[in-house]
Amino acid sequence: MSSQTENALGGSLSQDYRTTSGIPVKAFYTPADVAGLDAVQDLGLPGQPPYTRGVHRDMYRGRLWTIRQLAGFGTPEETNGRFRMLLDQGATGINCVFDFVTNRGFSSDHPLAEGDVGQGGVAIDCLDDMRRLFDGIPIEDVSVSLVLSNPVGAGAIFAAFLAMAQERGIPWDKLRGTLQNDFLMETVVLTAPNILEPAFSLKLSVDVVEFCTEHLPQWNPISFAGYNYREAGADAVQEAALVIAHAVAVAEEMVRRGHPIDSFAPRLSSFFTADNDLFEEVAKYRAARRVYHRLFQERFKPQDPRSSRLRFHVQTSGSALTAQQPLNNVTRAAYHALAAVLGGAQSLHVSAYDEALCLPSEAAALTALRTQQVLVHETGVTRTADPLAGSYYVEQLTNEVEQRILAYLKQMDDLGGLVRAVESGWVHRELMGTSYDRELATTSGERKVVGVNCFTDDVPLEIELFRFPSALEQQRATLERLRAERDKGQTEAALERLRQAVLADENTMPHLVAAVRAGASVGECCDVFRALHGGWHQPLL
Amino acid sequence: MALIKVVMAKMGFDAHYRGAMMVARHLVQRGMEVVYIGNRLPEEIVRTVIDEDAQVLGLSSLSGNHMVMVPRILVLLQQEGAERVKVLLGGVVPTEDQKELLRQGVSAVFGTGSSLDAIADWIEAAVGHGPDAIQV
Repeated sequence: MSSQTENALGGSLSQDYRTTSGIPVKAFYTPADVAGLDAVQDLGLPGQPPYTRGVHRDMYRGRLWTIRQLAGFGTPEETNGRFRMLLDQGATGINCVFDFVTNRGFSSDHPLAEGDVGQGGVAIDCLDDMRRLFDGIPIEDVSVSLVLSNPVGAGAIFAAFLAMAQERGIPWDKLRGTLQNDFLMETVVLTAPNILEPAFSLKLSVDVVEFCTEHLPQWNPISFAGYNYREAGADAVQEAALVIAHAVAVAEEMVRRGHPIDSFAPRLSSFFTADNDLFEEVAKYRAARRVYHRLFQERFKPQDPRSSRLRFHVQTSGSALTAQQPLNNVTRAAYHALAAVLGGAQSLHVSAYDEALCLPSEAAALTALRTQQVLVHETGVTRTADPLAGSYYVEQLTNEVEQRILAYLKQMDDLGGLVRAVESGWVHRELMGTSYDRELATTSGERKVVGVNCFTDDVPLEIELFRFPSALEQQRATLERLRAERDKGQTEAALERLRQAVLADENTMPHLVAAVRAGASVGECCDVFRALHGGWHQPLL
Repeated sequence: MALIKVVMAKMGFDAHYRGAMMVARHLVQRGMEVVYIGNRLPEEIVRTVIDEDAQVLGLSSLSGNHMVMVPRILVLLQQEGAERVKVLLGGVVPTEDQKELLRQGVSAVFGTGSSLDAIADWIEAAVGHGPDAIQV
């Protein structure tokens, strides 16, 4: 017992303590640490510039965060069943994840895809799959997040969603939801065969933003996926800085295309993680809102206050979860969720305790949902906005995170902007470097992970793992039927028009909707993009 | 003395490369040569192992495609007479899958939370510090 207690304290009080992203932490804080803080200029009230204290005046009193648990595995029918279960149990939004094959815009019958169809997300190949995925789900009432990470496939799959909505007689301007549609996901965070050039991937994502600005005023056409930057290695500062740099890059491109900032900026949205370092995470959300507001004011001079408000979804960290002693993950995820709510998130997914082992089982998914409901109904955290405001520590940490975000943004500006920083491999190297340092700290035991490098068990606890049949056979059959039933001439003509649109640098979205309606598969649409702008090699090593 | 040579690959469409890159980087730090080939089919992975004359093949699975891809790789290695190659699997691999793949010929599985040093130590012990140490 005594040796374990010593381990837990981890050293003497005179030790150099730092947050996870390396910010020094003092033993205590006093008013002197926040002496320069202007309560009006730097904090304001909740719902007022610079939005440090949150984007809404009455915060969760006025509108609770959306309880949006991620779901997606196997066939469209299986995922549809999980959607229904979550909605029946009190979830208030859909959050659909797709398998890697779909996300990358390949057909399920691609030779490389054999082991991945329906793994880690649902498999979608065509319009008919989309009909079955949302069968009986009231998409006119429930907001739908489609976690289509990569711009290469996001447009085509979104096009299938739009075509399905139209068949059901739901006008596009009534649809509410979010696409991820993040070119960093495609070029930095994840890997795949045949990757699009970063500049073209960004172009495709902005096509969706432009299309939604004209046709889907309630849709968030992009969600800057800080969560995933973090999972790929970033620390809290890098996560927030990359989100903001990305938002600026998209806004610049939209302005270049002739769209006034206020026509689209209110619908840009972001996505953050909630990781272990509770106060640093809260400081991150607060600092990010302030930097985002000031930067958008300075660069784009919007008139609409919503144009410089950073709204975000949070998913509790996946990489902080452990395969060892998996029930500890329930506790971890609850702390993560608390950080998100103390930081003013608009929407939340709590990760399931079995995620370091398998896709979430129904029991684990339900426990994650219940974690949110306990937070809402039992802890009282929703009573007042930005409850940590005025804490010497949290305000000082917010300032420090802000300064570091600004310094990081300056570095990217000096490199020629985000796209150049990606093309040169700088972003990859940054994330890998941070990630590797953290791994070494875990290996050496300097960073403690309960159940992994301390307080370990001799006899591992086994939990029941979630298993489901492969979706490959059904998807193959779907594709065969599609190819047999469609008017081949029409499909080919639609794909050719898509190709011409790419060559002429037109917006691809209307052509994707037309192609999907004309019987093109998602894979065929995306092959058009890859043929013209694929083959980019990630500068990894 | 020649370096220990390791080929690292992601199988199929599995898109999460961070774990594989962390291991690759650490093995290089520990004095090994690492060839990272990204997302490949079993045939291409085995071809690279043979062409590079590697003693170790590191496979990383997060998406869950290992039960389809790994057995195929093991069979191909056998067909090529390269069963001496140590096959390491890392990532999110359920215990039952670990047991089955170890039975089929995977040399070791390092799940999430494994220490980088433990992986490097294992390779050094299994392969020795050069090709001469391999037990054929």
